[in-house]
Amino acid sequence: MKKVFANAYIWILMLLLYAPILLILVFSFTEAKVLGTWTGFSTNLYRNLLMGEAGEALNNAIYNTVLIALVAAAVSTILGTFAAIGIHNMRHGRVRQAITFTNNIPMINPDIITGISIFLLFVFLGIGRGLFCVICAHIAFCTPYVVLNVMPQLMKMNPNLYEAALDLGATPMQALRKVIIPELKSGMISGFILAITLSVDDFAVTLFTKGSGTVETLSTYIYADARKGGLTPELRPLFSIIFLVILVLLVFYNLKTAKQTSNN
Amino acid sequence: MIRYMMSKILANRANWAWPYAIILTIFVIMPLVMIVYYSFQDAEGQWSLHNFHKFFLSTDSVNTLIYSIGIAMITTILCILLGYPAAYFMAKTEYRLPKVMASLFILPMWINVLLRTLATVALFDFAHLPLGEGALVFGMVYNFLPFMVYPIYNTMLKMDGSLIEAAQDLGASPRKVFTEVFLPLSMPGVYSGIVMVFMPTISTFALAELLTMNNVKLFGTLIQENINAGLLGYGAALSLIVLILIGLTSFFDSEE
Amino acid sequence: MKKILLFFISALFFLTSVSLSTKAIAQDRAHILKVYNWADYLDLSLIEEFEVWYKEQTGEDVKVRYSTFDINENMLTQIEVGHEDYDVVCPSEYIIERMLKRGLLQKIDTTDFVRTHTPNWLRNVAPFVAEKFQQMAPNDDDKFDLANPSLRVSDYAVGYMGGTTGFLYNTDFVEPEEVETWAALWNEKFQQKIYVKDAFRDVYSVLIQFAKYDDILSGQTTRDFEASNLSDANIKAVEDILIKARPQIAGWEADFGKERMTQGKAWVNLTWSGDAAWAIDEAAEVGCNLEYVVPQEGTNCWFDGWVIPIYAKNVRAASYWINFLCQSEVAIRNMDETGYVSVIGTPEVLEGMASEEDYPETVDVRYYFGDIVIPSVDEETGDTTWIDSKAAHLNHVLYPNIDVIERSILMHDTADRNEAMLEMWSHVKGNNLNWKMLSFILIVTALILLFFIDKKTRQWRKQRRRALRRLREVKKG
Repeated sequence: MKKVFANAYIWILMLLLYAPILLILVFSFTEAKVLGTWTGFSTNLYRNLLMGEAGEALNNAIYNTVLIALVAAAVSTILGTFAAIGIHNMRHGRVRQAITFTNNIPMINPDIITGISIFLLFVFLGIGRGLFCVICAHIAFCTPYVVLNVMPQLMKMNPNLYEAALDLGATPMQALRKVIIPELKSGMISGFILAITLSVDDFAVTLFTKGSGTVETLSTYIYADARKGGLTPELRPLFSIIFLVILVLLVFYNLKTAKQTSNN
Repeated sequence: MIRYMMSKILANRANWAWPYAIILTIFVIMPLVMIVYYSFQDAEGQWSLHNFHKFFLSTDSVNTLIYSIGIAMITTILCILLGYPAAYFMAKTEYRLPKVMASLFILPMWINVLLRTLATVALFDFAHLPLGEGALVFGMVYNFLPFMVYPIYNTMLKMDGSLIEAAQDLGASPRKVFTEVFLPLSMPGVYSGIVMVFMPTISTFALAELLTMNNVKLFGTLIQENINAGLLGYGAALSLIVLILIGLTSFFDSEE
Repeated sequence: MKKILLFFISALFFLTSVSLSTKAIAQDRAHILKVYNWADYLDLSLIEEFEVWYKEQTGEDVKVRYSTFDINENMLTQIEVGHEDYDVVCPSEYIIERMLKRGLLQKIDTTDFVRTHTPNWLRNVAPFVAEKFQQMAPNDDDKFDLANPSLRVSDYAVGYMGGTTGFLYNTDFVEPEEVETWAALWNEKFQQKIYVKDAFRDVYSVLIQFAKYDDILSGQTTRDFEASNLSDANIKAVEDILIKARPQIAGWEADFGKERMTQGKAWVNLTWSGDAAWAIDEAAEVGCNLEYVVPQEGTNCWFDGWVIPIYAKNVRAASYWINFLCQSEVAIRNMDETGYVSVIGTPEVLEGMASEEDYPETVDVRYYFGDIVIPSVDEETGDTTWIDSKAAHLNHVLYPNIDVIERSILMHDTADRNEAMLEMWSHVKGNNLNWKMLSFILIVTALILLFFIDKKTRQWRKQRRRALRRLREVKKG
């Protein structure tokens, strides 16, 4: 009885959470410009999207979003992993405290504050905003999450492993590659994925750092579109596809790990 | 020589954090200093308290801040009320794929937040519900619920089961076990959930615009409007006020 | 080892390539034209055609870098504060005025057209637009003295698109007479059915004419005087009108009003003629009947125009860009694409836009095209019809009849009164803070404080008990 109630609660909540997404999924199969009007079943939007006929602006936005997310996530994963190893090996003192404290700031700060603060920095320095500025900002708010994901892995690691490798004649780099990285891999991967998620989902930071408007990401593109009232209909199939791909990946990955653990 | 020095420096692994420390200084600390700097500058570039003076004299701005705090409180409370049971049930029930269940809460994040919000608007239109405060709260809760469920769920998973067993062995009633042991142990999750939800809600801007047809203005909208209008000093001052509020809430959090 | 190094190098490479690419562009700046325009305000295929045409005229390559903005002030901030080097931008008239006053604009140089034998199409702009531009308020700023008759605003700015402000309404629910006056905002029949454009300048400039209508009629004051007189009393008058209209207003739309109207969720929309024309077409497709009217008390005649900021790096290509856009065919294509009305007033445009079939009603547009009668030959039948600018079959939303123009004003920059205007606007848009909310906040804050105090006192008591116990133990021992 209790379990039925618990399940019912979870599923009702899920239904509420997913209702708008279901709406997008359903209406990706009709051509109407306005979300919420049904003008008959059609897969034309998918065709337009996949053939790249949804407009250059949208294609550019997709390209920029992917580029920014990949670069920002790659850089923050490397930067964050090294930083985590560094912090982990620091003496407990002022410096360590200062770095961990600063590391928390981007996570606590609302996006709009992060965006405006970096915007002000660029104004102060007189550097034009644009792709470079956006990528820097994304690295700044993604890296803390990587550090956060790698740290627990370091805690779990046997502290003597690295020294042992050195004693056995490995160079520091070899030790890093053969001993440390494999131990931290899962943390790095989840940090990387989280960084991509955050970068793709970000709106406020990009809005303030993109500057002139040559660099549109999907978020800012949709924002400009939404203010105009006419949302590009091809966005519906685009996000339906993204959603389904992620869902499948998630289930597949978890099934695999579940199988592995049960095999063990 | 350089190579030797490099290897010396790298050998001490504590030094590996320095590149990141530099990045943090440039892109986190410096920008915050900029907010402080600009907020104490008037339009002519002179040091002054003009911006703060202006804020406290403008009833509309102060009211917007108070109103935003109210909306943020409602959102946070609703998130706790809805999210706590969800996290509890998820942590207690044995699912075949527990990770998938947990991930289902962050999966919506992959759909762009504005698109999701527009879909919510369409949903309200479908149901013939009026757009406005109610829609705004719905949209906020919908958007921020994962940030509440996740920390609570994580705390519950990490919780030491032996304490609860001990309480049960000592003959405590299930209710007593929950209120005296389980609930206090899960509170750290709730606190970090509050930090994750409360401040971001005050400073959202696009959501309010779309969900209320511009009828409700939150503090984030105010900041964005001023920055857009080129009033950098005033925008920075408003941002500083948000930062001070964050300082206050995280102070409460660290008190725990 | 190698892999990590590669990883590192590739990441570094990414970053440097990004920064290098910006540098490379800087070197090539003479062949780049940075155009900054409103979103959805150009037939984008024209960009490529311009590049080809520019090469033909001047023998030089140019690559257009086209970007868009959706808020005037946003654009201005980037140029004024950020010193961004856009070569040619398209702000609204009041921003042009402000840019002129602040010395942010340079003259549009047409001398190079002579060298390359390029026709000067800037003359195609309807003369009344230049007249309107010249009305930009005189001021005592020495950077640009607008009162000086030898300085012509049209040397600095060339009109692009324009329109009026009025009511877009749904004919199924609204009678035409009901929206012939701005008092429609007070009509209780429209409760929660009106959307107002979130643009305080436009709303102010039309509603102040409504507030002062009797005085304007009796000749005690003029439209132009009231529209540029942003006194506290005037601002208050508009505020009162809007407060009285509050129950009818369902929202303040940045751009979604068209959509809500087409969906039939709103009945009346205070909006711009360009948006209205777009919405009328769009709505007709789904069987929804919308119409546009300019209320009798008056309106504003707004314009967007092309200007060259002082930070521009490619001034020559910029002037060719402006010239290119002033061609009749180009203007017609832009109108078809955007739905706004071009300020180009040539017979070709008149012929291209007139259609007896689509627009049975006629308008007097002599102010736009001059007093002309031009022949129009039907390609199929070979019949010749005459188009008379006195009574032309044009879309009245885009080309208003002369009487609308006679009761229109030009909007002025409100820079020094901006704060008062913004304050009025936020008063009107409403303060959502009410007693319920305030008491809720107080109760929650009180509960949180109580919770903490309770916790602290408990901790304190526990500590004291412990200390007492220890004391007792010590005594016993």
